[in-house]
Amino acid sequence: MFKKLIDNSAAKSPWLFHINAGSCNGCDIELVALLTPRYDVERLGFKLAGTPRHADIVVVTGPVTAQSKDRVLRTIAQVPDPKVIVTLGSCPRSCNVFRGSYSVVGPLDKYVPIDVSIAGCTPKPEAIIDGLALATQILKEKRGAK
Amino acid sequence: MLPFIKEAVTGLFSKPSTEAYPFKPVDAPAGYRGRIVFHADQCISCGMCERVCAGGAISTRSEETEEGTLITRRFFLGSCTFCGHCAAFCVKHAIELSPDYHMVARTEEELVVEGTYLKKKPAKKAEAAACGNAVEGESSVKPREDGLPVNDPAKCVYCTLCAKKCPAGALTVDRKEKTWVLDEDKCVACGTCAGICPKKAIIM
Amino acid sequence: MEFLIKIVYILIFPGLLFSTVFGLWLAGIDRKVVARMQKRVGPPVLQPTYDFFKLLGKETIVPSSAARHTFLIAPYVGLVSLVVTALFIPIGGLQAFGGMADMVVILYLITIPSLAIIFGGSASASPFAGVGVSRSMVTIMAYELPLILVLLSVGRAAGGGLVTFSMEQVTLYQQLFGSFLLDWRLIPAALAMLLVIPCEVGAHPFDVGEAETEICEGPLVEYSGAPLAVFKLSHAIKMFIMTALFAALFLGGISTGMVWLDVVIALVICTAVTLVCMTLLHAITARLKVEQVFKFFWTVVSGLALVSLLLVWFVD
Repeated sequence: MFKKLIDNSAAKSPWLFHINAGSCNGCDIELVALLTPRYDVERLGFKLAGTPRHADIVVVTGPVTAQSKDRVLRTIAQVPDPKVIVTLGSCPRSCNVFRGSYSVVGPLDKYVPIDVSIAGCTPKPEAIIDGLALATQILKEKRGAK
Repeated sequence: MLPFIKEAVTGLFSKPSTEAYPFKPVDAPAGYRGRIVFHADQCISCGMCERVCAGGAISTRSEETEEGTLITRRFFLGSCTFCGHCAAFCVKHAIELSPDYHMVARTEEELVVEGTYLKKKPAKKAEAAACGNAVEGESSVKPREDGLPVNDPAKCVYCTLCAKKCPAGALTVDRKEKTWVLDEDKCVACGTCAGICPKKAIIM
Repeated sequence: MEFLIKIVYILIFPGLLFSTVFGLWLAGIDRKVVARMQKRVGPPVLQPTYDFFKLLGKETIVPSSAARHTFLIAPYVGLVSLVVTALFIPIGGLQAFGGMADMVVILYLITIPSLAIIFGGSASASPFAGVGVSRSMVTIMAYELPLILVLLSVGRAAGGGLVTFSMEQVTLYQQLFGSFLLDWRLIPAALAMLLVIPCEVGAHPFDVGEAETEICEGPLVEYSGAPLAVFKLSHAIKMFIMTALFAALFLGGISTGMVWLDVVIALVICTAVTLVCMTLLHAITARLKVEQVFKFFWTVVSGLALVSLLLVWFVD
C-alpha cells in the first residue's frame, strides 16, 4: 500500500529544474510563463526547484555550448533517480540555427539520453504543458521499472 | 500595505484567471506557425526550401526507379525555427505551416514530416536520349557573347522563379507549355535570374 | 494502562500521526489560498502530502564532502523534537504531558528544529548552505527575544502576581477569566506573536534563511529523498505547532464541556491563524533582507511585546 501511495504521488508532484545551456532566452521565458496565473502549472503539482537535488524533471534549453557542456552534464548527474530529461525547443535537440558554430558542441543527445523533446521555436506554453505531462507519465513508468 | 490586502482579498473571492488547458483544448491564434504540412504532389523539386532554411531542417533523398526518380523530402521539426521561409519561397505552395502546436515526442521519428513523390522521366528527354543527342546532366548550351542569360532546358524545372524575380520583366516562363522566353530588348543582364535559379539552369 | 495511553499520545494524538496529517493539511491550505489570492487555481490541498510521499521514493544522495552521519540524522532530530513539542501544547485544553515549567520546555524544544536545519546545512559542505545557515542563525536570534517577552507577559498575566511557566495554569486561568485575546493589555503581545509565527516557521517575508529563489533553499540545498521529505514535513508540523501555541496562549479559554468539540475549535483557530499570519503575509509581501528582519524584530516586535509585559506588570 505504501509503495502504491509513493507511486501515485510521483506523478502528482514533479519538480522541475531548468538548465540554460546557452539558450537565446526565448524558451526560458516561455517556461517561466507557465508559472504565471494564466497557465499556473502549480495546479498540476509542478514546482520550479532551485537545486538539482530536489528535482524530478530536468528541462534543458539551448544548444549545448563548449562552456556549458561540463556544467550541464554535472548538474544532470546530481539529480536523484528517478529522473526525466526534457529538451525544450529545437536547440538542444539539433542545435538548430547555431549548428556549426565554433562554440557549440551539442546536440544534447550526444551526451545523455533524452526522454521527451518538445519541438517549437519556442514552443507554445500549452505545448510545454503537454510535454511535461508526458514527462510525468515517464516518471511514473520509471518508478514502476525500478 | 493596505491596497495589497484589498487586492489579495478580492483575488481570493474572484474567479481565477487560469486557463484550464490540459482539460480544455485551446486553439492557436490565427497565423500561428506550427507543424509543417507538405503536399508532396505539388512539389516540383526546385530545392528552394532547402536553400533558404536557416536551421537546416529540410533534406532530400532520391531513389532511381524505372518510371523515374522517387524523391523524398524530409522536414525535421526538431531543427526547425518555424520562420516560414520555406513556405514563403515555395512557388507551388507545397509547404504549409499549420496551427498545430502539439509537437511533443519521445523519439526523433515522431518529429519528422516526410513526403514522397515520383518525378517521371520526361518523354522528350527519353527520345533525345534514344537519338543520342543531349543527355541529362551535361550542358548543351553555351554562354552568349553579349552577356544575356541562356536557359538550359535539360536542367530547368520551369518553376517561374526567374520570371518573378526579374527586375525588368524580361522573362516569360510557362510551366504547362514548358517554355522559357527572353525579351532581349528589356533584359538588362543583371544576373538576378541566374542567381535565384534553384537548379542553376541559367547561364550568363 | 497509563503507559498505553501515553503511547497513544505520542504516536497518534497529538503526537506523530496527528501532527503529520494536520500539519500537511495546513500547508496545503496555505498553498491553495495563496494561489487563490494571486488569482491562480493553485495546487490541490493534498499537494504537500504528494510531495512528501514522492520525496520518500526518491534516491538519497550524500555529497562526498559532507559529514555523513550528521547530514542524515539532523532531519530526524528536528522531527522528533517537534513531535515532542506537540505533546506539551494544550490543544483545546487537552494536554498530553504537563509540568511546572512546560513553557520553558516548549521554548527550548521549538528551537531544536531550527538548529537541526543549521546542523544539517553545515554538514552538507555547500556554500549555499553556508549562507543559509548564517542567515538562519540571525533569524533565530531575531525572533527568540520577542517570543520570550510574549511568554513572560502571558505567564505574568496568568500567574496573578507571580510569573507562571505552566501551560496548564494559563489554560485554567483563561477558562475562568476569559481568553487573553480579549484582555486589552495583552493585545500588543498577541500582535507580536502573530509576527513571530511566520519568522519561526520560515514563511514569507521572513524566509531569509531558506530563500528559494535566492540561495536555493539555503541549508536544504544538498538534501534529497527521504531526509528532504522529513525537513518538509517538519516545516509543515511547525506551522501546526506555532499556531496551536498561539491558540493555547491567547484563545485557550474556549470551553464547551466536550473535549472533542474543544479540540475541533482549537484546530479551526489554528487554521484561521495560519491564514492570517502566514498566507495573507505571503501573498502581500516580498522577502526582507536579513538585517531588516533582525532590526524589525528587535525594535517593532520586541517593542510590542515589551509594552504588553509592562502593562501586565504594572496595570491591574
